[in-house]
Amino acid sequence: MVPIIMPRQGQSVESCIITKWHKKVGDQVTPGEILFSYETDKAAFDEEAKDAGVLLAILRGEGDDVPCLENVAVIGEAGEDPSAFMKNEAAPAKAEEAAAAAEEKKVEAVPAAVTGERAEGKISPRARALAEKSGADLSLAMPTGPHGRVIARDVQKLIDEGKVVTPAARGEAVPGMEGTGLGGRVSLHDLSRPAAAEAAAPAAAEPETWEEKLPNIRKVIARQMHQSLSEIPQVTHTLAFDATQILALRKMCKESGEAFGMNGVTIGDLVVYAVSRTLMQPEHAVLNAHFMGDTIKYFRNVQMGIAVDTPRGLMVPTLRDANKKSLLEISKETKELANACKQGSINPDLLTGASFTVSNVGVYGVESFTPVINPPQTGILGVCALQDRVRPGKDGQPEFYKVMTLSLTYDHRALDGSPASRFLRDLKRNLENIQMLLGGGSYHA
Amino acid sequence: MPKSQFVDPVELRKPGFIKFNDIPVNQYQKTVKQSKADGEGFSDADYKRIFRDMAYIREFETMLNLVKTRSEYHGIAYNNPGPAHLSMGQEAAAVGTAYVLDTNDFCFGSHRSHGELLAKAFSSIEKLGDAELEQIMREYFCGKILSRVEGGQNSVKELAMDFFLYGAISEIFGRETGFNLGLGGSMHTFFMPFGIYPNNALVGGSADIATGAALFKRVNRKPGIVVGNFGDGAIGCGPVWEAMNFAAMDQLTQLWPDEMKGGLPILFNIYNNSYGMGGQTRGETMCYDYVARIGAITPSEMLAERVDGFNPLAVIDATKRKKEAILDRKGPALLDVVTYRFSGHSPSDSNNYRTKEEIDAWMAQDPLITYRQQLVEAGVATDAECEAILEEAGAAIEKAYKKAIDLEISPRIDLEKNHNIIADLMYSNEVRPSMDPGRAPDVLTKYEDNSRVQSIARKERWAFDAEGKPVSKNKVFQFREALFEAIMTRFYEDPTLCFYGEDVRDWGGAYAVSRGMMESIPYQRLFNAPISEGAIVGTAVGYCMCGGRAIAELMYCDFLGRAGDEVFNQMSKWQAMSAGIIKMPLVLRLSVGSKYGAQHSQDWSSLCTHIPGLKVAFPATPYDAKGLMNAALVGTDPVVFLESQRIYDVGEQFHKGGVPEGFYTVEFGDPDVKIEGKDITILSIGAVLYRVLDAVKELKEKYGMEAEVIDARTLVPFNYEKVLASVKKTGRIVLVSDACQRGSFLNDMARNITEMAFDELDAPPVVIGAKNWITPAHELETYFFPQASWILDAINEKIVPLPGYTPVTNQTVEEQIRIEKDAE
Repeated sequence: MVPIIMPRQGQSVESCIITKWHKKVGDQVTPGEILFSYETDKAAFDEEAKDAGVLLAILRGEGDDVPCLENVAVIGEAGEDPSAFMKNEAAPAKAEEAAAAAEEKKVEAVPAAVTGERAEGKISPRARALAEKSGADLSLAMPTGPHGRVIARDVQKLIDEGKVVTPAARGEAVPGMEGTGLGGRVSLHDLSRPAAAEAAAPAAAEPETWEEKLPNIRKVIARQMHQSLSEIPQVTHTLAFDATQILALRKMCKESGEAFGMNGVTIGDLVVYAVSRTLMQPEHAVLNAHFMGDTIKYFRNVQMGIAVDTPRGLMVPTLRDANKKSLLEISKETKELANACKQGSINPDLLTGASFTVSNVGVYGVESFTPVINPPQTGILGVCALQDRVRPGKDGQPEFYKVMTLSLTYDHRALDGSPASRFLRDLKRNLENIQMLLGGGSYHA
Repeated sequence: MPKSQFVDPVELRKPGFIKFNDIPVNQYQKTVKQSKADGEGFSDADYKRIFRDMAYIREFETMLNLVKTRSEYHGIAYNNPGPAHLSMGQEAAAVGTAYVLDTNDFCFGSHRSHGELLAKAFSSIEKLGDAELEQIMREYFCGKILSRVEGGQNSVKELAMDFFLYGAISEIFGRETGFNLGLGGSMHTFFMPFGIYPNNALVGGSADIATGAALFKRVNRKPGIVVGNFGDGAIGCGPVWEAMNFAAMDQLTQLWPDEMKGGLPILFNIYNNSYGMGGQTRGETMCYDYVARIGAITPSEMLAERVDGFNPLAVIDATKRKKEAILDRKGPALLDVVTYRFSGHSPSDSNNYRTKEEIDAWMAQDPLITYRQQLVEAGVATDAECEAILEEAGAAIEKAYKKAIDLEISPRIDLEKNHNIIADLMYSNEVRPSMDPGRAPDVLTKYEDNSRVQSIARKERWAFDAEGKPVSKNKVFQFREALFEAIMTRFYEDPTLCFYGEDVRDWGGAYAVSRGMMESIPYQRLFNAPISEGAIVGTAVGYCMCGGRAIAELMYCDFLGRAGDEVFNQMSKWQAMSAGIIKMPLVLRLSVGSKYGAQHSQDWSSLCTHIPGLKVAFPATPYDAKGLMNAALVGTDPVVFLESQRIYDVGEQFHKGGVPEGFYTVEFGDPDVKIEGKDITILSIGAVLYRVLDAVKELKEKYGMEAEVIDARTLVPFNYEKVLASVKKTGRIVLVSDACQRGSFLNDMARNITEMAFDELDAPPVVIGAKNWITPAHELETYFFPQASWILDAINEKIVPLPGYTPVTNQTVEEQIRIEKDAE
């Protein structure tokens, strides 16, 4: 008899929502069969059975927000009593305590955590401070203080068990990650709240209108977009650049075939490459940053958010340290991230921590738009469709050439119009001279 | 009672009568003319000066009355929101008393003492030479006050008059150029270089303080007498009676060494104006009929007399005779000086307790009129000369008034620029091993010849033997011996050190701290005080005010209430109220009881911490007891020194090497980590430390927790740094003391720790005090005082659950709410 737990998809995930049970109690299951589907705020997953047996009990139903690592079901032989797993014991903690007690008598005795009791706001200042400092994931803390209070030793246990949001060197290695729930970040708890307006019952036959409950991801997007536009004074500048060189380069890559591995490089990859280099110019640091209210948090490297359209909605995976990656690496990894998003298998940790975002809608022929900032980032770049333009040629005859439009939205609290415009100008020069950029050069006014 | 005195049943049971002598009433009736004719030794100038001094006082009080009632004087506007208890009508009495006194004679007064203050100053100015006067004025606050008035005077005496009027008005108006930076004010104005000691806003508050000053003069062989000036209303105050008894107690004439023999050199001088505020003393609130009658409490009837205080010559005559008798060791003395206050108690007085006829009848006999007429009648002065004196007074006071109200010349202390001016004056923080360096102390034997010193030398100064077993009580150097050693050595260091309290001499103190001292310390430095807690502390305050160092002992902490004013208003406040001029090296020993029920077993340490100006020590080990007592006895601040009766017999268990034989101090404010640990901090005050140790043991043995124990040692001052460092380490803290929990100082500490270490805390600081009940019988005390189990209960309930622990007491929030709701 084995319990089935809610898996943990990435260390920033507090809990997941069960979206569907594919098996019901009493069903025979074999390894590899899908037991249930679940989702975080940005990704969906299927949980496969790892053991054969009968599904003896389902502990958490569809729609339940289940803290990670908690039991959701029990598989065993027909007729076995699953009640031993009906409650969520802090099993590993217990085992460790027993071991510690046996080994070292002097260690402070710790009673078993109150079963299933969670840190419902009760946490000592010391424990909170320790969690903030260490990045320990408080959602996993099993309180052992009085009356269900999480105390320091509970956080210490998380740290000892590696249950931290980021490794110790998180400030350096993965900038931008915030402690769980801090700074008003959306948590999975938010997702589990009932929608403000319940779906009205559909009319009996072929109604003219109908309402559907928003999927949780839609609710999150809705709230974030609204929050961004209502809280941030954002301004968009638009500028077109001569795409002659990047088109030539793109063509060259394509024609080089598989031998160089570069034939999959897209215009979008080239833009991401150019943006990541341009952001690294010191005068544009404010766009590779987070606006924190009283401070601006600058990033040493470019954590490039790349907007991806998926059947579930807009997702923005992060291409880590884009500035350090070659064009080929950018191209390959961007594709992998986009595919993972589309399949719903993206690691949620990769959906956070971007320092700047690029959103490419050129494929739809959009000529210009106003991208919306993903807070607390200070900017987002919209990449639009190729267009034909005419200019006087060498012999005075009109000459057609391709341009592409860039739309930069920036947080006017963080920077003014001139620096934003200078960024666009430098980016334009870099794109128009993409070969210089590939060679390591970069346009400076 | 010493063995040398035989309480004879035959004598005590014998029949007979107590004989009283007649108490003279207003026997002196002379006018200036008759005085002159009888050759009483006054020059014409003397007679005139008496009028001048009265005129100045009248004008001074008139000025204040006008400022209070009309916000102007001589058309110069000023608003004085502070108090003004005026004495128009009482000038002849004040001038008559002061006329006899010189600067070696100290006077103490009341809230209504402007007149006494000025009279004593004028008398001193008259008696002091120019060089002395100049030196006093130049040295006082480095000449700051002098600099404001210097210039334009014809003589040093005239300058001194201006100096004093200006300094007094500045003080009354709360200016930095006052005698005490304006920190004393109207009711507390004084000027020690002229022998004018603090006036006191508490009715009768000066009585025991003045008696302590007289004790100082006697013990330290200082010249002069002490005059305590009170109103008749003060005779209703217990401490005044305590003081009179103290000043005349039998041991002074029967037991003290010949050189020291005699009642204390003090005149209880009662300005009897028939009213205590609006309460008529004779006829309404008092029983004596004549104030002078109360002199009958001593066999000499305190040489009591009633004198006519409207006749300055009568007051001079009586005061002169009393002073001579007092210097002849026949004191204390008492004068019932009949006078009358024309003005109200204060400017808000509507006189609805007396008739206009009564006031008019007294005003018709106003000494400013009658004595003036006598001067003219005796041919000493013309009426025009008298008028000129009145005008001169008005001009002098106007000059001083103008300067005193000018913020440029007479600013207030600048708390905007220097927030700490008053804070810095609360404690003097000096180290003075002797208050009179160089003078040899009066002792009866060498220190090492004292038999208790010799017996203590054989004791084990560390509580455990070589094998770690406890040394027996009889062999170990105990807490009480640590105190003995500190005090005894100080007797040989500071000749002014004087130690008294109930049964401290023959008995050796109720807990044997001072046992054996009498062998080496003469009576005047170590004596049994009457059961007069107010006077024990009050006299010690006066003793220290004059430059001595004293240890006062109240046998039980619970008796503190009996000395409430003396501890909370006097001992604590005079250093700051005097702007640092007065030092208060007074150690008040309070023994904290147990076993003796509700009125003998309460820990009142928290009350003392609430009063600004007191230092509060509560050692729990012999090492700390000796070190803190040493620090207190070389310091210059008032210290409330708490000693728990539970632990007088403990040996030193913490300070490795035991209690040092030589001199050392434990710094006030420095808590001590008695046991190091990492899991929880326990901050302990006083004897509860030993119950904390039991809890520490159980926490370790049963729950694997290592507690860090910090002994506060002193409550005021208190350095939180060690506690914060400990809390940073452990994240948890329990605070324990035997004081009742409601209003305990621990709550203050817990609040401070919460604020200062909030993010370090893994649980709220938990306070464990005694129940908010009366202390029950000894057999039930475990239900009342904190026990080790209470500490574990609180930890389990509020800080960190102890696996498998079964609580003994209910420490839940619900219970806490109920206790407070029911005031339980």
